[in-house]
Amino acid sequence: MLSHLIIGASGLYLGDMLFIAISFIILMALIALVAWNPITKMMGERANKIANDIDTAEKSRKEASDLADQRREALSHSRSEASDIVADAKQSGEKQRASIVADAQNEATQYKQSARKDIEQERQDALKNVQSDVADISVQIASKIIKKQLDPEGQQALINSYIEGLGKHES
Amino acid sequence: MSDPVPTVKFLGLTFNVANDLSILITCLIVFLFVFALSRHIAMKPKGGQNVLEWLVEFTNGIVKGSIKGNDASHFGLYAFTLFLFIFVANQIGLFIHIQVGEYTYVKSPTADPVVTLTLSLMTIALAHYAGITKNGAKAYFKGYLAPFTLFLPLNIFEQFTNFLTLGLRLFGNIFAGEMLLTLISGLTSSKNWISYIYSLPVELAWQGFSVFIGSVQAFVFVTLASVYISRQLTPEE
Repeated sequence: MLSHLIIGASGLYLGDMLFIAISFIILMALIALVAWNPITKMMGERANKIANDIDTAEKSRKEASDLADQRREALSHSRSEASDIVADAKQSGEKQRASIVADAQNEATQYKQSARKDIEQERQDALKNVQSDVADISVQIASKIIKKQLDPEGQQALINSYIEGLGKHES
Repeated sequence: MSDPVPTVKFLGLTFNVANDLSILITCLIVFLFVFALSRHIAMKPKGGQNVLEWLVEFTNGIVKGSIKGNDASHFGLYAFTLFLFIFVANQIGLFIHIQVGEYTYVKSPTADPVVTLTLSLMTIALAHYAGITKNGAKAYFKGYLAPFTLFLPLNIFEQFTNFLTLGLRLFGNIFAGEMLLTLISGLTSSKNWISYIYSLPVELAWQGFSVFIGSVQAFVFVTLASVYISRQLTPEE
C-alpha cells in the first residue's frame, strides 16, 4: 500500500519536501503580512491602553477622593467659622448693650446729682436772700421801734449773730 | 488511498501531484480563512477579529507553556501557522477525497509520511537553529555531551527519534483515520442498498472521531514542537 514510500521506488522525495517547505514558508509569510503583524500589534496596543486606563482611573479616583476630603474639611471649617461669627456678634451685642445701659445709668445719676446740686444752690440762695431780707427787715423794724436810741452800726453785728443762730437752729 | 501515485518530473525532481495539490488547497484554505477574519482590525474587536485573536491566544498559550521568557514571542507566528496548517490538513481528507481513475488527487496531506516528516524536520531544524543563535555554537555542541561525554551517541540518537516520532505520530493518526474511512465507505460499494443503512452511522461516527483526532494531533504537534524548541533554547544542566 505504501510501496511508493520506499526510497528509489519513485525517486527521492526531495521535490515534495521542497514543495511542502516552500509553500509552508510562503503561507507563513502571507499570514504574517495579512493577519499576524496587525493582530499582535493591535493586541499589544490594547494591552497598553488597558494598563494606561487602569492607571488613569486609579489617579482620577484618588483625585476625586482628595477633592471630597478637601470639601469636607472646608465645610467643617466654614461651619466653625460661622458659629464663631455668631458668637462674636452675640458677644459684641452684649457688650454694647451693657455699655449703653451703663452710660444711661451714669447719665441719669449725673442728671440727678446736678439737679440736686441746683436745688441745693437755689435753696442756699433763697436762704441767703431771706437772711439778708430778714436782717434788713428786722433792722428796719428795730430801728422803727427803738427810733434813734439805737445806733444801727453798733447793733448790726448783734442782730447778725442772732440771725445766724436762727439759721443754724433751723437747718 | 490507492497504490499508484501520480507523479510529475520537473527540473530533475519528482513531485507527487496528490500531495502537492492537497498542500496547495490546504494553504489556500488557511490563507483565505485568516485573510477573511483579519479584514477589520480595530482596538475594540468584534466578529472575525475575536475568532482570530482567540486562535492567536491559543497558540501563544501553547508556545508560552514550554518556552519561557521573551523567546516565546519569536515562535508565535510559527506555532500559529503550524497549528492552522496541520488542523486544516487533518480535516480536509475527511470531506474531500477526489479520485480520478486509479489516482487519488486530493486527500489529507498529513496522511503521507513525506509531508509530516518534512514538517517535523522543519521544526527540528528551527529548534537547532534557535539554539545555536541564542546560546552560541560552543554551548550548543556542549549540550550533546550533557550530562557527561558518554551520553553523546544517546543525545544524537534522541534528536533523530524526536524528528521521527514527531512526524510519524501525526502521519499514523491521520493515515489510520483515512484508511478506516476508506474501508467503511468500501462496505457500501456493493450494489446492495441495505448496506448504506448500517455503514452510514458508522462512517458518520468515525468521521466525527477523526475530526477530534485531527484537532488533538494538531495541538500535540505544536505542543511538542515548542517543547523541542525550548529544549534547544535552554541547555540541560
